[in-house]
Amino acid sequence: MDRSLLSLIIVFAPLSLFSFGGGQAVVADFQYQSVEVHGWITNEQFTDLYAVSRAAPGPSTLIAALIGWQVYGFAGAVIACLAIYIPSSIVVYGATSWWHKNEKSPWRVAIEKGLGPIAVGLVFAGILAVLRAAHIVEPGHINYLGLATFLLTGFLLYVTTITPYLLIAGVAIFYGCLQFF
Amino acid sequence: MAWMHREIVERRKLLDDQGFMTGLTIAQVLPGANPVNLALYLGMHARGRMGAAVAVFGIIFPAFCVVLIMGYLYRTYSDFEATHVVLGGVAAAGVGATLAMGVKLARSVMVKIIPTAIAIFTFVVIGILRWPLVPVVSVLVPLSILQAYLIHKRQSKDG
Repeated sequence: MDRSLLSLIIVFAPLSLFSFGGGQAVVADFQYQSVEVHGWITNEQFTDLYAVSRAAPGPSTLIAALIGWQVYGFAGAVIACLAIYIPSSIVVYGATSWWHKNEKSPWRVAIEKGLGPIAVGLVFAGILAVLRAAHIVEPGHINYLGLATFLLTGFLLYVTTITPYLLIAGVAIFYGCLQFF
Repeated sequence: MAWMHREIVERRKLLDDQGFMTGLTIAQVLPGANPVNLALYLGMHARGRMGAAVAVFGIIFPAFCVVLIMGYLYRTYSDFEATHVVLGGVAAAGVGATLAMGVKLARSVMVKIIPTAIAIFTFVVIGILRWPLVPVVSVLVPLSILQAYLIHKRQSKDG
């Protein structure tokens, strides 16, 4: 098991380039790399860290910093955070100048239209990866309370404009109360 | 985002509406978290390279501190079984939030057959077959952009 700062960069920096629309697109590989390939954390720890990153205000890409912290302490958190933001930021910086110089280029439309479907596929792959890691939906096992929470939250956020943080807080309180009754 | 628009376009007049919309498109389409990318775009327009760097740092640093504080609390209370139960619920709700976003995105993208096929292929290969993301998507991205380019070219010729 490789727990070096370099291994954090090797895992997160390439994923940065594919985090279309944010961290949700690469969550599947965050889980795959840190649990299955490198064994840095267990599925249970991944689920906990994912939950913390979703409850925190700010981009959910920051789960990388939490994983980095588990691997190599504070330095790991800083390095993972840099590795997940610097490559994508360089691309955006370069693309912005290109975008302005090529107002009429058909490639602009092609990039917008071409990246969309890949982002969709990756987001749904990420959803499946988290459902599996959290033992909500696995081959031969379904946690119905978890599945109901997942579907109900998804439905409410799809049809209303309620802020996700309110729902997440509500779910946390509900699960907390279940402990005592 | 609405707050950023008011501050940048309406109050400080650093950018016009169209410039802001271009920034929003770039922020959403390209890799990286949307708010971070938008901050980079706006910082770049205000003060060039330095502005971009300062804006990115300014938007990530507070969020980074908050997530570490929450991570610290998590570690402090991780010996209690209840912590994991509550976080399991929060994870389910968090992934539900991603579902709502994913369905909205899918409805705007999956209207034609080829983009739909690309989206489903990506999902199956990464999500179900669990192939490694980086090599697979490195191949898919250029192919997908190329097909979008060819379709766009043919459409503009017909039109």
